[in-house]
Parts: sequence; structure tokens; C-alpha cells
Amino acid sequence: MRLRPRHFAVAAAVTLVVAAPSLAQPAVDELRIIAPAAPGGGWDQTARVMQQALQRAGLVRIAPVENVPGAAGTIGLARFIGAEAGRRDVVMVSGLIMLGGIVTHRSPVTLHDVTALARLTGEYEVIAVPVASPFRTLRDLLDAFTTRPESISWGGGSAGGSDQILAGLVADAVGVAPSRVNYIAFSGGGESLSAILGGQVSVGINGLAEFAPQIEAGTLRPLAISSGERLPGVDVPTLREQGLPIEFENWRSLVAPPGLVGADRARLESLIAAMVASEPWREALQRYRWLDRYLAGDAFTRFAAGEETRVRDVLGKFAAGQDDTGTAPEPYPWLVIAGLVTTGALLARQVVRSARGQSANTGPGRAPVVLLAAAAVLHLLLLERAGFVLAAAVLFWLAARAFDPRHPIRDGMFAVGMSVCAYVLFARVLHLSLPAGLLAGWL
Amino acid sequence: MHTIELLRDGFASALSWAHLLWALAGVTLGTTVGMLPGIGPALTVALLLPITFNLDPTSAFIMFGGIYYGAMYGGSTTSILLNTPGETASIATAIDGYAMARQGRGAAALTTAAIGSFVAGTLATVALTFFSPLLASVALRFGPAEYFALAVLAFTTVSALIGGSLVRGVFSLCLGLALGLIGIDQLTGDARFAFGIPQLLDGIDVLILVIGLFAVGETFYQAWHHGRDAPEVIALQTFTGMSREDWSRSWRPWLRGTAIGFPLGVLPVGGSVIPTFLSYSVEKRLSARPEEFGHGAIEGVAGPEAANNAAAAGVLVPLLTLGLPSSATAAVLLAAFQQYGLQPGPLLFSSRPDLVWTLIASLYIGNVMLLVLNLPLAGVWARVMLVPRPLLFGGILVLASLGTYSLNSSLLDVVLLFVTGTIGCVMRVYDVPLVPAVLGLVLGPLAELQFRRALAISEGDLTVFVTRPLCATLLAVSAVALIAPVLFRERRA
Repeated sequence: MRLRPRHFAVAAAVTLVVAAPSLAQPAVDELRIIAPAAPGGGWDQTARVMQQALQRAGLVRIAPVENVPGAAGTIGLARFIGAEAGRRDVVMVSGLIMLGGIVTHRSPVTLHDVTALARLTGEYEVIAVPVASPFRTLRDLLDAFTTRPESISWGGGSAGGSDQILAGLVADAVGVAPSRVNYIAFSGGGESLSAILGGQVSVGINGLAEFAPQIEAGTLRPLAISSGERLPGVDVPTLREQGLPIEFENWRSLVAPPGLVGADRARLESLIAAMVASEPWREALQRYRWLDRYLAGDAFTRFAAGEETRVRDVLGKFAAGQDDTGTAPEPYPWLVIAGLVTTGALLARQVVRSARGQSANTGPGRAPVVLLAAAAVLHLLLLERAGFVLAAAVLFWLAARAFDPRHPIRDGMFAVGMSVCAYVLFARVLHLSLPAGLLAGWL
Repeated sequence: MHTIELLRDGFASALSWAHLLWALAGVTLGTTVGMLPGIGPALTVALLLPITFNLDPTSAFIMFGGIYYGAMYGGSTTSILLNTPGETASIATAIDGYAMARQGRGAAALTTAAIGSFVAGTLATVALTFFSPLLASVALRFGPAEYFALAVLAFTTVSALIGGSLVRGVFSLCLGLALGLIGIDQLTGDARFAFGIPQLLDGIDVLILVIGLFAVGETFYQAWHHGRDAPEVIALQTFTGMSREDWSRSWRPWLRGTAIGFPLGVLPVGGSVIPTFLSYSVEKRLSARPEEFGHGAIEGVAGPEAANNAAAAGVLVPLLTLGLPSSATAAVLLAAFQQYGLQPGPLLFSSRPDLVWTLIASLYIGNVMLLVLNLPLAGVWARVMLVPRPLLFGGILVLASLGTYSLNSSLLDVVLLFVTGTIGCVMRVYDVPLVPAVLGLVLGPLAELQFRRALAISEGDLTVFVTRPLCATLLAVSAVALIAPVLFRERRA
């Protein structure tokens, strides 16, 4: 491939710029941070702020962030338990939303399967309406809600997340079954915020940081905040002072792989303690309007257990009524499957008919197919066992031979060259995770 | 005019030799990393942002502009040359771009993509400069019902891409729709068709399907055919840029692509698949030679590429005026703004006009840099097609696997890649079109979700789709788009 000289030039440039600020000798060489969400969300931001703080404060030489998105973090959790067990140089961002995800998506793994390290930050939730809304106060809203619950649509983040949990807690507190909350789940802050601003839903729930700019600009009217007392500089009445005994925050925490004990655990705990005290971390908290909710050790374990009970309880009540009403199965999936089967059958008939006149047309193509199938199977078997470089070289070499078997040595050289270059660029320059496998010591 | 003065101040602070170098560095890094398989624009920006943290705000914003537009552009190169789209925005480009590259016209395809991106990016940035507040307020009027209507409108584009056989086209579409059923039902949080496999909870990533069907499927198909047909000989055209005919066939698609891409980019839902494919089907409908589409029609590259970049600029409208991040990339940018004490939201323009206008000025500069960087390289990149076939296809498979694995670090994704690759090969053998499957996977879940959201808000009242004027209009337009070609054809016959 002719792409290589250019990739190298850029690789060198990136290395220079990235490596320049970290010259001092830090305590820990490498700490990987896993964000069980896509780039851009709260967990990803937490991970990237940690990366900055750890590197700038000179606590860790390099702290690459790895995104494993999906299903409120439960996909990341399952992978963390499976792939990282026994490792001591990796942490994952977690929190309340993952508790919700575990319940909602019936995750087979839970937060009891990993080592809890510490709670880091918290964010209070705000209930707000657009300024044009007829609801002036929380009382107005709750009056309409208790009269006919379904007429109020609550917009917020994904199902089972902190926003829905708070909606459920509010309903429970005013004596409405949470299963009657007409909760409209949106993906991500941007989508739900635009639906709330545009008046597409009756009322919105979101974190204070996301609502604050809109409240300052006067486009949203806050009705209540979930903190225990009024926050300085935030002129929003609490739920408690409006008669609802609810205190609630969307907290984010850190976990380590299963079975981390003794000195290894103490080492990570003291690293986190040093990080939360560092200047870059304190600056970042202010910038993102996160509350410092650092809590470690047994106190955190007790707190997490209490939160788990609460989340299971309220999400259980959401689901409870819905199964009783016996909602009919959605027609859409079955329509699609019927369409697929019908057109597939028609297509198969056409193909069989047109093939009857012709002789079977396999022949010279068989050897390449076998080679390619072998290449794919070997690649999959080797990828996480022997590492990316070997697996990719095998795939390249066998695939090249499927096209032209005359140059095994040339093909082999290119196969190894390309695999090594790709590995170095991704894993060493960009710090994306690729399995190193058998060659871990060499690369 | 007030805006023009502010913009001039923005340029005044952005234009210096040092800043231009930062812009060039940003565009180069953005394009290069964006070109790597499996690293979409959001991850590109997230990876490169730490570099800017050591700079003063103005230099950093200049570099953001470069990185953002560079990352959005980078995907089209691999799409055209290797049939391996790096992100959803460049799927439409791959259809005719790769066909052009196979005919030795890769340089022309890359050039029309680069100039189209420049034209669209610049026009869209002008629109962003002058009409942001107005556009943002219109975008807020889009609720679930309107998004459903928009998805229906996008579905009508499938009819243009279905090809000769209705059964084959609908089968492909249903395959995509069926794959789209897999994963968590967003409204209830229940898993559907996940078969207890945690990695399937989040559904099948459209990129895996695309790389599987297009890149891996094509490789398998070529290998299966190898030895039966004489291998095609690729002769690079001696002229490495666009011919006069290419120019006259490209400029209208650039403008139409911009007109389609920008407003749809402003809407906070839907991503870049809808604008690029709408542009593609509009070009096919309007073309005097619709039969060339799929076999190297330059309009099929020019339109979607322009739409893609115009949409990228459109995404910045809700971000800058309302503080709404409507894509993952925008969310990463938003986090970067906060590094400099810029609180995105409705007050951004009034609280820190200096930085905002510097950012906007740097978007213009980034666009120019993108053109400066990529025009000379088009001829160089096009030579990739001269790499001997065994090495080219071996390389494509490795890049496909690398890109897929780095999406989620999941081995199951790589298994799915080879499975969809096999399906893609079989579909090629039996002449089943691939694109309807991709559109089905993207649009099916979107349409279903918005339809059910709209009904939940209206408490099950179906009339929302006709009583909301915007929604009714969109549905009427889709009906016309679907019926008109049939009527015309009958009249002609």
C-alpha cells in the first residue's frame, strides 16, 4: 500500500504534539480509562476530564480513554468483567444510570461483580417547562398530572435513566402509579432538550448543567430542583420545599476489575484521591458544573447499596402496571418479518427457475472461496488470542493468495508490514485498544 | 451590517501566518485520522482535541474548524478508493465513487468531492453566519410526528434505488428493516431479537453492515469470480482532474446538495444519511442518464458529498444558537468549548462574541485549507488503484476488520462483518441491490421510534400526522414523490 509514508509523517507529528507536555516522571505509567458510552456523553466527558487531570497533574504518564458504548453502559460492564478481570491498570466510569440500565435491560452482570472504587461527581436534576407553557409552578403541573396522568408527557433521556427514575419518584410521591407516567425517552441530551424547548412534550427532566444555559437565557422555566437545599446562585425551589420528600442526584463513580484487592486496590484508591485533590480536576468540575461528590471506601459501598434498592424499587413500579394491562405485541416487527419471508420466498423461486436452464456455475472459483473462508475463520480465532498483528497478517496473506498464489513471499512481507504499521498507528500513536496478544512484549 | 462587522473582526483575529499554519495542521490531522477505518468524525475530534488544549483560544478554535471539516471530509477518500465508508455520511458516495475509481476516474471523483465539499461548506457557512437564529427556531418546530414524516420522505428515495427487479429491491429493504429490529426498544428499554447476546442489545451498527456488504462482500465476490473472468485492467486516465464534461455535470449537484444538506443538518435528529441519500436520489431523478447511476455517474458523488458537508455546517446552527448538540461530533465540540470557558447556549453569541466569530471565521479558513490540501492529493490517492489486486484486496480486508473492531472493541462485530460480507457476496451473485438494505437499517428504526413517540405524546390519536401542518406537508410531498414518477411514465408510454 502506498499510504504508509504519509501515515508515518502524521504519526510522528501526533506523537510530538501529544507527548510534549508530559516530560516529568509520574507515579503510574499507564492507566486505561473505559467510558461505557459513545464520545460526547456524560461518562465520556468524565473519562476525558480524568485523562486530562491525571496527565496534567503528573500522576499518570498516559491515560488513554476507550469507548465501549451501548445499553446504558451494561455492554461496557459485561466486557469489563470478561476482558479485564485480574488487571490492575484499568478503571471504568460508572454510576446511577448504569444501575438503572442493569434493571431495565435485565443485565446478567451487575455492579456487585466489579470492585467499587469511589463516587466522583454528582449532578442535580431539574424539572422544567418551556416559558410558553401554561404551567407556572410545580403545583400547576402536579394538579394536571394527578387529574389525568397520561395527558402529561415527560421528556427525558433513555429509558431506565436518571430522568425517568426521577419522574417515577415524583409520581410515587403524589400517589400516582409510576406505570401511568407517560414518559417519552429520547436518546442523548440534544434530542430531548430540543423536544422540550420546542414544546413537543409537556415537561422535561434533565441535568442542571444541560438546563442551566437555557434557564439563564429565559427559554426554560425551572419548576423544581432535586437537591436537598437551594443551591447558591441557582434560584430554583427544591422538590422538598414544595412538599415532595425527594432528594436525588445523578452520580458518577469509578469501578475497577473484579477481584482487585490489597496493595493493588490501595494503589488505585490513592491515585484517585490524589486526582480529585488536583488543581486540573477542580478546574474541570467548575467548568462542567459538576458537584464534587467524592466518596470512597465503605461509605461509598453503603451509599451504592441504598441507591440500588431505590432504583430497583421505582423501576419495578414502572414495569409493574404495564404487564397487567396486557399490551398487544407491536405489529411492526411482525410486518417486517412477514415481508422478509415473502420476498425471500419469491426471490428463491425466481432464482431456482432461472438456474434450471443453466449448468451449475461453480468451478474455477472454488479454491479462492475455501482460502477466503479459512482466512476469515483463522482471523476470528486468532484476533483476541494471538493478537491483532498475527491475525491481520494471516487474513491479508491468505486473502492475497486467493487472488494470486504466485507471490507468497511478497504477499507475506506486505501482510506483516501492513499489520505492524496499522497496529503501531492505532495502539501506540492514537492509543486505541487493539489486542496485542503473543507479541505484547515486542511491540 | 452588524453581522459583517463582527465577521470582519473574527477574520482579523483569525488571519495570521501562525493561525493559518494551525488551520493547515488541523485540516491535515482531521483528514488523515478521519480517513482511518472505524474512526468516525466524533472519535477523530475527541482524539485530536487534547492537542489543542495547550494553545491559546484563538489558535485552538482555528484548529477545531480545520479538524471538524477535515474529519467530515476524510471519510470520502476511503469510500471512493476502497469502497469502505468510514462513517455513515459517505455511504452514498461509495456507490458511484468506487465505480468511478474502478474505471480509472478516481482522481475526478476525489476532485469533485473536494470542490463540492468546499462549495457546500462555504455556502453553508455563509448561511450559518447570517440565518442561524431563524433556522434554529424553525428546527424546534420539528417534533416526533415531523421526524416520522421526514423518514417517510426519505423512504421514497429507496424507490429510486431499487433497481430493475421489484422483488429483489423489496427483499433487500426488508432485510435491512429486519436487522434494524435487533436491539433495545428505546421507548420501553426492552430488548428485542437480541437472543440474550449482550453485544446485540445496542443493535447492529450501520457501519458494520455497510463495510460488510460493500467492502468485504466485493472482495469475496471478486475472489469467487477470479479465474473465470479476465481480471479487469485499470488504466488511470492520463488527465488527473475533472474534464470539462465533469465540471458541467457537477456544479448543479453541488448547489442542490448544499440546498438539501444544510437545512436537514440543522434538524437535531436523523444524522447525515437522510440528506446524502435524498441528494443522491434527486440527482438520479433529474439526470438525463439515470442508467449511469451505480456505474460511475459523477453526479452521484458530487451531490451527496456537497450534502454531507453542508449538513456538517448545519449541525453547528443549533449548537451555536441554542447550545443543542445534535450529533456525537457536536457533543464533543461542545465539551471542547467548555474548556475555554465558553458556555454554549442561547447566550453564547452575546456573552463571548469575540470567540464565536473567530470560530465562524476559522470555518471559512478551514474550508479553503481543505481544498488546498486535497486537490493536489487527488491524483496521488487515485494511484492506490494501481496496487496489485491481491495486495489491494488483502489490505481492504485488514482495514475492514481493523475498523470494525475499533468501533466497539467487540469480536462479535468482526464475526458480523464476515457474515454480512458473505451475504453481500451472495446478493451480488443474484443481482440483489445492496443500498435498500442500508437505508432500511437506518430509516426503519428511526421511523418506528418517531411514530410511536408521536402516538405516545398524542395518547394514541392518529390524527396528529395530518393536523400538524408541517407534518402533513412533508407527508404530502412524499406521496407526490412516490406517485409522480409512475404517472409520468404511464403518460410517456
